[in-house]
Amino acid sequence: MTYPSSSPKVRIEFVALLAACALFLSTVEYLIPKPVPFMRIGLANLPLIIGLGLLTKREYILLALLKVLGQGLITGTIFSYIILFSIAGTFASTLLMYIVYRFFKQWVSLIGVSIAGAMASNVAQLTLSQYLLFGAAAKLIAPPFLVVGLISSIILGVFAQQFEQNSAWYRSLRKGSL
Amino acid sequence: MKKIRLGDIIIFLLSLVLIGASFGSYGKLSGKPEVRVQAEGREWVYDLSVNTTASFSGPVGTTSIEIHDGKVHVLASDCRNKVCIAAGWISSAGEWIICLPNNVFIRIEGSIEPQAGGVDDISF
Amino acid sequence: MKTANIRLAMGLLTLPAILLQKSFIGIILQALYVIVLAVSHGRRFRILPNLILLFSVSSAHLLQPHGLQLFSIGNFAITAGALVLGARKAFTLIALLYLSHYMVTARPNFPGKLGKLISLQFYYFERITTIWRTITPKRPFIKAIDNMLLQLSVGGKEPFSTQVKEKASVTSSARNIGKNTLHLIILWTLFVLGNLAIFPVI
Repeated sequence: MTYPSSSPKVRIEFVALLAACALFLSTVEYLIPKPVPFMRIGLANLPLIIGLGLLTKREYILLALLKVLGQGLITGTIFSYIILFSIAGTFASTLLMYIVYRFFKQWVSLIGVSIAGAMASNVAQLTLSQYLLFGAAAKLIAPPFLVVGLISSIILGVFAQQFEQNSAWYRSLRKGSL
Repeated sequence: MKKIRLGDIIIFLLSLVLIGASFGSYGKLSGKPEVRVQAEGREWVYDLSVNTTASFSGPVGTTSIEIHDGKVHVLASDCRNKVCIAAGWISSAGEWIICLPNNVFIRIEGSIEPQAGGVDDISF
Repeated sequence: MKTANIRLAMGLLTLPAILLQKSFIGIILQALYVIVLAVSHGRRFRILPNLILLFSVSSAHLLQPHGLQLFSIGNFAITAGALVLGARKAFTLIALLYLSHYMVTARPNFPGKLGKLISLQFYYFERITTIWRTITPKRPFIKAIDNMLLQLSVGGKEPFSTQVKEKASVTSSARNIGKNTLHLIILWTLFVLGNLAIFPVI
């Protein structure tokens, strides 16, 4: 079951809208004070979680691509090594979240989807940091990163769950009245 | 209202396993074999697993070493007898090469990994 | 030629000069130059994230001892070579980061369908931030976001154009190319000086 509008033009605009939301949420995240440096809730991943129930596979990949490129342009990091971390993290989590949602929908809530996505993203980025930044020492930073990722992804998952249940916008999208 | 489901618990537990496994890396990093070189009254340290070359000066000139594929040897030395070059490659912790005329001392340090049959070799 | 394209081209042509830099002093100078370039074109520079990167990458390299032992903590050797290796890597990354910052200062457009889609994404982004300012209360957060999305979807679309009109006169274009060529030459000169070992070796 996906977002029911059939017009490809409307659907692709909807993808751009969700991608814009990801940009917006990353600016919101930037404003939230953090207890630990490097700690992120990953608010910008919310559209990727919400989009699971609304988009086709192609549109979903497009959303991930737009999120990466848009963030790269806004932060100016698009031509630097940071974009590699962004690509690795986003696409690893996108892939795993899609698989979990697509094949295990009956048994998993958005919280589980969110945790799976965060773990995939962290493992991909830690692997990359081993080659790009830290060498063997990347293994030392893995435990704190994974722990933080687990906690923040649970928060994000609860958040996504709440949104899906309470949002009038989401409901009318699923009914096809928007 | 949707609640937490079985799959969520499974994913959560799998994440905990992953995190637990990642903590295992803390034990493994110490005790990697190192090449330690004493020369000029100071000490140099190199990772035995990283290929490199280095030169040290002493009373009679320069002594160069080469680390390659987990082994180290003296590549060239300005000393007369060249005993250090003749010593060839060393690769295990505890082994050493010395160039007396040039006052360069090369040794490998690190935990000695128990190998199959290794204990017997020492005991008998 | 559009300013954005000139800066993109300059950045791409500079990449090898930074990536292949062997000298520690050379890469520091290149990084400083690129930082000044980005900052003078309106980009922000914050010292703390860069220091964190420098510190973390340098200390990570200590696990692989290399060179003169400065001092040791227990059995753990703090080696000069490893520190320089890590710091050089960190400065390379910093230089690449600010080069990237500089490259996007003139808001480059991607070509083709993807480019149009990114423009659309930024159009929605502007609208979201505009609507977000008018929304009160902002708590609870979910309700506020929901309100915003409803407003966006119901309010329909205003016409938007992807074209950013740039009045590029021939003289300003030529001056732009000249300036960027100068940057290019300076950064490549630093590369040559570094790799000819003209800077003192650390």
